[in-house]
Amino acid sequence: MLHVELVLQGLVNGSMYAVIAVGLTLVYGLLRILHVAHAGLFTLGAYITVLITNATGSLPLAVAVSAVTVGVAGMLVYRLLYEPLLDRPPYVALIASIGLFICMEEGYRIVFGPYGNSFDTMQLTERINIGPIGMAAADAAMLVGAVVLLTGLGLLMKRTRFGVAWRATVTDPAMARAFGIDTVKVRYVNFFIASALAAAAGALVAVLNNLVEPTMGSVPSYKSLAIIVLGGLGNVGGTLAAALLLGVIEAYGTIYAGSFLDRDAIAFVFLIAVLMVRPQGLFATGRP
Amino acid sequence: MIGAYEITLVAVVSINLMLALGLNLITGFCGQVSLGHAAFFGTGAYAAALAAGGLSLPVVLVLAGLVACALGLLVGVASLRVREDFLAITTMGVGFVFLGFVRKQGWLGAEMGLTDIPDHGLGDIGFVGLCLALVAAMAALSWHIKRSWMGFGFAAVADDERTARTLGINAAAYKLAAFVIGTFLAGVAGAVYAYFTRFIIPSAFGFTVSISILTMVIVGGVGSIWGVVAACVVLTLLPEFSRVINDYKLLLYGALIVLTMRFAPGGLAGLVRSLVARRSTGGAP
Amino acid sequence: MRRTLQRLALAALWLTPSAALAQDVVKIGFHAPLTGFAAADGKSARQGAELAVQQANAAGGINGKKIELVVYDDEGKPENTIPLANKLTGQDKVAVVVSGGYSGPTRAAAPVMQRAGVPYLSAYAIHPDITRAGDFIFRTGMMGEVQGRAGAKLVGELLKKKKVVIVAVNNDFGQALTAGFKEVAPKFGIEVLKEHTFAMPDRQFGPLVAQVKASAPEVIYAPGYFFNAGPLVAQLRAAGVDATIIGQEGYDSQRFIEIAGKASEGVIVTTSLDRDSSAPATRSFIENYEKTFKDRVDMVAASGNAAATVAIEALRKAGSTDPKAIRDTIRAGTFETAIGTLSFNSLGEVKKAVQVQVVKDGNFHRYAVIDDLGFLAPPEK
Repeated sequence: MLHVELVLQGLVNGSMYAVIAVGLTLVYGLLRILHVAHAGLFTLGAYITVLITNATGSLPLAVAVSAVTVGVAGMLVYRLLYEPLLDRPPYVALIASIGLFICMEEGYRIVFGPYGNSFDTMQLTERINIGPIGMAAADAAMLVGAVVLLTGLGLLMKRTRFGVAWRATVTDPAMARAFGIDTVKVRYVNFFIASALAAAAGALVAVLNNLVEPTMGSVPSYKSLAIIVLGGLGNVGGTLAAALLLGVIEAYGTIYAGSFLDRDAIAFVFLIAVLMVRPQGLFATGRP
Repeated sequence: MIGAYEITLVAVVSINLMLALGLNLITGFCGQVSLGHAAFFGTGAYAAALAAGGLSLPVVLVLAGLVACALGLLVGVASLRVREDFLAITTMGVGFVFLGFVRKQGWLGAEMGLTDIPDHGLGDIGFVGLCLALVAAMAALSWHIKRSWMGFGFAAVADDERTARTLGINAAAYKLAAFVIGTFLAGVAGAVYAYFTRFIIPSAFGFTVSISILTMVIVGGVGSIWGVVAACVVLTLLPEFSRVINDYKLLLYGALIVLTMRFAPGGLAGLVRSLVARRSTGGAP
Repeated sequence: MRRTLQRLALAALWLTPSAALAQDVVKIGFHAPLTGFAAADGKSARQGAELAVQQANAAGGINGKKIELVVYDDEGKPENTIPLANKLTGQDKVAVVVSGGYSGPTRAAAPVMQRAGVPYLSAYAIHPDITRAGDFIFRTGMMGEVQGRAGAKLVGELLKKKKVVIVAVNNDFGQALTAGFKEVAPKFGIEVLKEHTFAMPDRQFGPLVAQVKASAPEVIYAPGYFFNAGPLVAQLRAAGVDATIIGQEGYDSQRFIEIAGKASEGVIVTTSLDRDSSAPATRSFIENYEKTFKDRVDMVAASGNAAATVAIEALRKAGSTDPKAIRDTIRAGTFETAIGTLSFNSLGEVKKAVQVQVVKDGNFHRYAVIDDLGFLAPPEK
């Protein structure tokens, strides 16, 4: 019984990681930027969700507004910060991204206050029981939300013209351009989708915790970097698998290794062990 | 008028300078981006805190450096296996594992930290003299390395590891050397920190410390010794001098980093180079 | 040209100057984490201290002189606190300093204050080493282990429960409270079934909740802050765990109740602030705080206010800014503050009762008061 719950809770956490990290890996796959400020967009998505829900009373409306706004914000980050730095060494964009993340966290603290915000009426407080297994509705929403979002992303990548264009651009930008693909547009759409996913993750976490705070992106900022590396940088499927695996390992680690290592350390012991055996991550990257 | 305030400020800046100069060897000279420098800093600090009771100050400084560079050697070996962004994240992991381990170790004081670190016995002025002497020595070492054959090897590895290898440069040996020397300096910085605060707690060696040190190196201009020194001094003192705007000082710090990277991706060194170049050619067209 | 201007502007940004003005006033120094992970507590502590200063100034200041609160951000970092502590004593020439910060920065500042001979009051930091720095150092808040002991007494004697699981935040606060709780637990026949920790940034406790559920305790003793406790309590209740949850002063914020919602009902905390107190100092603080800052009071604000109140009262009673006179006044005196009547032992630790509050109908209310000062006595050295 305990093990069923541990695995389930691990998967809930893992799906949260997955929705955040998959956006990060989309950005990395295309531009090779470690986009730390992604976690700042995640926080922005969470704030917009809570504030609009409180103003209008409609959570679905709030999530939609949040996804679109944050998607556009992501495109702006690309246009104003990353695009001019693309031909620079990768650490330039990394440090710029870290600087932007600090500004975002501080901005949220100054604008929204340090105490964090909550929904006026708590969302999804019911409990769902399937036989002997029970689960909070918010946990279930996290799992279902992740499955829906990631399936949608998968379909988009496999079945649509954008998906073809994206994959072509990742594999060989020059060749893609030669075939008439607008690689600049692909980048903008890419940032929009990645950031909208971050916003959705922020909304789900806001519902799960009934709490959004200026610093809520700090753990995702580094944990999702670990996950995309574990999944083989730029590999979307690998990122999903790595996220879920890490969620479950952390769940078990917290209970059975908690007396000598904390949760982050457990995750990174696993990461280092994997990289020593497979230096390219669990799954080979999609990039040649 | 030099008071206790200025003296302690110089000590804080010096500790950051030692860390930045050490990381500059690894990241700046040899091109190995490390997001875990605080782990070596912390290792040195803990080693010093444990040893300071029984040993004299010079011995403690060297010992702290050696313990830190033993860990640095391990990470250096790992750097032979993983590259670039994979290495950056691996070093980040080393930082988190270090912290997570220390937090739970009763013999290291766990969360309550180690306390009662003995006085250095040098007096205020003596201690600042020691700090400045160590910084000067480390800067001189950096300068010497940069101009030596080793510096050439580092630059070749940083530039393009594969090409360096085809030129017969032993890339593995240079990477290990960079990690060993750079982390030794971090260990010494850790010992100085322990003598300075006279107690240590795990959270003083967290991820944000690693990030801020790396930021100093990149904002200074990768590989440029004076650039890194300047960036380190300014970025350390910026929060100090912007205390009047307490609420906005971290925002200002972040904005300065973003603007520098955006408009001067070569860092301070690059910024100055381009301003000088412009002046000598009679300004922009 | 535009590029050159851009670059020059950037270069100018690197040379930002600073300015400071001095006036003929009595200065009280203050530091707290105004940015970073603990910014919420920093803001509350600061507002609490500012309120004390405003009220004292409105009442004519100290012997005709206005009080100025010199506020610095310690960022929660010990090494940054050492220079700012030196700045307070050396540059700003403050008469007294109040710490609204956590244990790390407060431990770093205490020896500086002792050396400079400036009385220093720690509002709510819990580490035992703080007051050991010397005779100028005082603590108006509870030591961690004292509060842990009060928690065990609450569980064993008032609630008469035996089987406990401890779930503590992984930092000095959690560790000190856990140690205090376990130290006296056997005395009350309490059996600690399991002990877990979580990190300060954690908001997701699924695995811990599953494990706690499997242990089936009567009581969950869970030291943490409101931003941990809100989600933790909600998740425990959502998982169907109905054991009594015991929190401490870290929970003591209206934000805890907002985050956890209905799940917060019945949670009992050990703290410093009695919401149902009839003492004039407490009533006036609660009313004025909520009027001035349009926000609910919390323990940290009350503690910041109490420490600043002691500082101001000591300055007034001592009748001078001579540090030794202020120190002796604090040591010998009794002070009416928002967190009750305070006096100090030979080490500078506060002697006061522990308030036990329970969440009822969305607010904290008095549950009991533990005033066995012999049992609660902090160490004398």
